Amino acid sequence: MVKHSFSNLLGREQRQEESAIKALRAIKKIAQKPVLHFAIFAVILSVIKVLSEQKILQSSFATAVGSTIIFCIVGLGFCLLLGYSALASLGTAGFIAVGAYCAYFCLSQWQFTIGTAFLLAILVAFVVGVVVGFISLRIEGIYLAIVTLGVAQILKEAFAALKDTIRLTGKQITISWLNDMRLTTDHVYFILVIALFILMVLTKNLMDSPTGRAMLAMKNSTSAAQAFGISLLKYRLLAFVLSTIYAAIGGFLYMLFIRNASNSSDTLFALSTSLNILGAVIIGGTKSIWGTIGGTFIIYGIDKMFLQDIEFFRANPTLITLFCGILVIVVVMFFPGGLVQLLLEIKLKIKKLIVKIREGIYGKDIG
Amino acid sequence: MFDAYLSIFIGVLPSMCAGILATFAVTIIFKTSYTTNFAQGVISALGAYVSVEITMMLGWPIWLSVILGIIACFAVGVAIDVGIFRQGRYVNTLGKQIISMGLISIIIGIIPFIFLVTKLEAVPQRPFISLTEGFKIGSTFVQYNTLISIGITGVLLALVFILLQKTKWGLSVRATASNEIVAGMMGVNTRIITAVSWGIAGGLGAVAAIIYVGNVSLSSGYIMTMTQINAFLAGILGGFATFYGPVIGCAIIYLLNALVGCVCVHVEGLSMWKAAIVYLIVMLLVLWKPQGLFGKRTVKKV
Repeated sequence: MVKHSFSNLLGREQRQEESAIKALRAIKKIAQKPVLHFAIFAVILSVIKVLSEQKILQSSFATAVGSTIIFCIVGLGFCLLLGYSALASLGTAGFIAVGAYCAYFCLSQWQFTIGTAFLLAILVAFVVGVVVGFISLRIEGIYLAIVTLGVAQILKEAFAALKDTIRLTGKQITISWLNDMRLTTDHVYFILVIALFILMVLTKNLMDSPTGRAMLAMKNSTSAAQAFGISLLKYRLLAFVLSTIYAAIGGFLYMLFIRNASNSSDTLFALSTSLNILGAVIIGGTKSIWGTIGGTFIIYGIDKMFLQDIEFFRANPTLITLFCGILVIVVVMFFPGGLVQLLLEIKLKIKKLIVKIREGIYGKDIG
Repeated sequence: MFDAYLSIFIGVLPSMCAGILATFAVTIIFKTSYTTNFAQGVISALGAYVSVEITMMLGWPIWLSVILGIIACFAVGVAIDVGIFRQGRYVNTLGKQIISMGLISIIIGIIPFIFLVTKLEAVPQRPFISLTEGFKIGSTFVQYNTLISIGITGVLLALVFILLQKTKWGLSVRATASNEIVAGMMGVNTRIITAVSWGIAGGLGAVAAIIYVGNVSLSSGYIMTMTQINAFLAGILGGFATFYGPVIGCAIIYLLNALVGCVCVHVEGLSMWKAAIVYLIVMLLVLWKPQGLFGKRTVKKV
């Protein structure tokens, strides 16, 4: 009797332990899911906004984060193009302009609803991407940068001739199915966060899918990829069109959030934007989502969040461009993996150091 | 009507000279360093800044400013090759392209720190001779400045082509262009050849930009972007396989520009899309001949 209850007790304890281990494993499994990391990041971004509304953080800080989120979205598209298909484009600014002008014309001139305007912007970006990509990618990969450079310039000039300064007012940005509720910039901030989250998840899934692997194969060796039956034109075109659409979404959201953009004074539609996005993606690490976002925060975020408060940096706005250029060259020449790889290497070194310290204290592990 | 057409064609000539020089610069770097140098435009803008700074801020004569501008860009070109591209020999083609894009950011960032001209509200046009001086063909006014630009371009191009075809240096450049490793085995010092090519490209770019700011005011470091785009497209159109192909391609692009400009006189609202139409025609030509008009078919061996 006693023996029986004892074994029962033991069994219960064991069961409890087992279930605890199981739960821990499940938690660990969930914690390793990238979607959860993205969600945590989105929550952090939202908290920044809430804190700034409670006057704990400056409101300009939240605005800076918001505009950086927009460039993160554009950067994600560029990451697909550069990191996964090894194609460089200099037309990003032109495609941002496509999205921004679509938003302006649809919402202010033609009074479409936001949903229709958004779909139209994506459609236009898709068409532009397919046409430009189909012509330039057929010739040879390295010509894409040249052709997109020209296309961006044409788009900029044509848009400037159509309307030089575009501006949206609060009256024009309403949601019809919510009793014509006006979208304030505070609302748009949360839309930005949600859009970034969705696009991060989509990009991650695309990267892990057969399509992403095909793109990666193409990047590493075009001949080998072709030998495995991967159509170069198809996947390059896909990557280019996707990056065009991401840029257009960025431009569309920019118009909703910042509300005005000008062709003459602003640098948003100029070549420097394309170069900064390229710099951001390369500095962060071309193949990684976190690298892209980190790089964008380095190039755009630090400048807008902190440096604008310092007089010296406000007087010399080109300093950040210079800094970006130097970083790009250093990264390309010495750290091809970007910041992400650098962090990984540091992590490995720390692990090795810990092992060495342990050996120093306890002696070498012979077994 | 004929006079209007003629004036359009004459009006395009100065920028065509700048374009041809820029094209040659892009071509020589493409052939010796195997990369498309996206920084060509800003390097040449640097030359224009040096020249304008010297004439406007120091008041020195214009011929001296041109020479100093060329020397400055030559030095910058050599420095870029020796300091950056030589260290990054094992970087792939895309990496080289990206390095040249990074160079754009560096030069654009550095210009406001060096040149006092950037502090001015606006910089006026700075021709070799006043733009009001000239003569008339029929009722079309031709500026002496245009003629000088054409003269300088012609002399420089002739000089470089003679150097390329007739001298030992030219032979080694052509050898390096066709295969760098074999040229090195045959005793060509490819390092010096590449460095000098970068220098020459910089110098030609400086002349191009100085000619260009004779008609357009120097507003920013991006001033040569359009010329550079035309130069690249000319390279694709003419085919990078030869040295003369891109130059002829460039002339074709600018003449097409003038031709479309003539059509635009008659159709209202079309001038906005002028550049787009020209590029579309060029792209269709390239689709028809993917190797370029004067290109040779290359066979890739695996």
